[in-house]
Amino acid sequence: MRCKHPPHFTILIALLAPALVSCYLGAQTAMHSVLVESPTMASGETMSREYTPDGRNLSPPLTWTNLPEGTREIAVICADFGAGNPPPWVHWIIYGIPATARGLPEGLPIHPGQVMPDDIAGAIQGHNGWRRPYYRGPAPPLGTPHLYHFTVYALDEELGLGPRLTREDLLDAMEGHIIGRGELVPVYERFGSPE
Amino acid sequence: MAGDRTKRKDRTVGMTRRELLRSAGVSAAVGASTLGAVSYAKPAQQSGNLAASEEAYEQLTTEEGQLLEAIADHLIPSDDSGPGALDAKAVRYIDRALAGALSDSLEAYRAGLAAFQRYCRSSRGGDFMELPHNDRISALIDVETGAATGAGAGFVGSSAAFFSMVRAHVLQGTFGDPYYGGNENFVGWDLIGYPGVRTAVTENDQQRLEAGELRPYRRSAYGWEEFEKATVRAARKGLHHAD
Repeated sequence: MRCKHPPHFTILIALLAPALVSCYLGAQTAMHSVLVESPTMASGETMSREYTPDGRNLSPPLTWTNLPEGTREIAVICADFGAGNPPPWVHWIIYGIPATARGLPEGLPIHPGQVMPDDIAGAIQGHNGWRRPYYRGPAPPLGTPHLYHFTVYALDEELGLGPRLTREDLLDAMEGHIIGRGELVPVYERFGSPE
Repeated sequence: MAGDRTKRKDRTVGMTRRELLRSAGVSAAVGASTLGAVSYAKPAQQSGNLAASEEAYEQLTTEEGQLLEAIADHLIPSDDSGPGALDAKAVRYIDRALAGALSDSLEAYRAGLAAFQRYCRSSRGGDFMELPHNDRISALIDVETGAATGAGAGFVGSSAAFFSMVRAHVLQGTFGDPYYGGNENFVGWDLIGYPGVRTAVTENDQQRLEAGELRPYRRSAYGWEEFEKATVRAARKGLHHAD
């Protein structure tokens, strides 16, 4: 029998999943809270279609402040905890971001040979859920709002990680090195109907 | 754009797509789904308005044929190290096959190409051939991954299924036997070092092949008298090679 949950239930579960993970991680160490913002997105608000395949599917701009003292490197993961088998579905991974960076500009390369902007030189985009080394935005089923967790991690060490890491690889590599974390959680829902 | 062509390299993960084709053959390229099938290299037809193809299509309209050529040009672009799908006339192969062996796919092409163009307009604001290079690549990736499915004005069915179909046929048209209308001047076989159809391979042939010293037969399987006779016999019985 097919079980249909109301959308708000799905959103609640999606919100709780990362919170539970946070609780688990929080039990290990006291976690410093990084403030994650964007000039074009806000938590709980609908993302611009420019950051989805309904638009140009550009990676969105992010900014962060209140990094903990001792931050040596930064990593970002965008994941949808309401999708994937098992969840989450990973939309973007970028790591090796210099601690001096204060954010990510819009529209990072989808061309593997294209260099990163100067202020995030050395940053590497890992493999998302499609096993592609670049951002691919939300494409939830029609009429179903999903939440997209852009999580910023402050690390106490330059990890020197190589390319092609998945979210799991990255989380493993970061274990014991996360000294701060913050999230931006916008929403996206597709309303279009096929012709 | 000749200057660009000398710099075209399709770097995916430390290897150009063409190196991949050469080193491992077409089957490896077909199976290399994790790298994605869309080439990042700038294709030959990258100007705003596609250079009008001189090909007269049998099944596709001129507009459909030119759009399909532009897509094929992004899948296997020509570059400084060799020709691509356009040189191989892969779309001519598809167009002819749509009247025969691939006739069941004609409607899928019609609907898919129209949906693709609608998707480009609704998501990127213009026809595929008018988009900047990065937007073309991005649109094709979204079609390939299935993300274009269900987009406002896009695909009714799975965009990934359409992409997969086109990709398979472009590969067939580039690397298949020239008898069927593609692989013009054996450019596909030369590209992957295929030595050609041989009725017998001696140990010496095999050793020379592995050493890269075997001179290829640049000849269709149907260019051999034995096969030609079989073709004529089949035709008399009302059978066709493409069936």
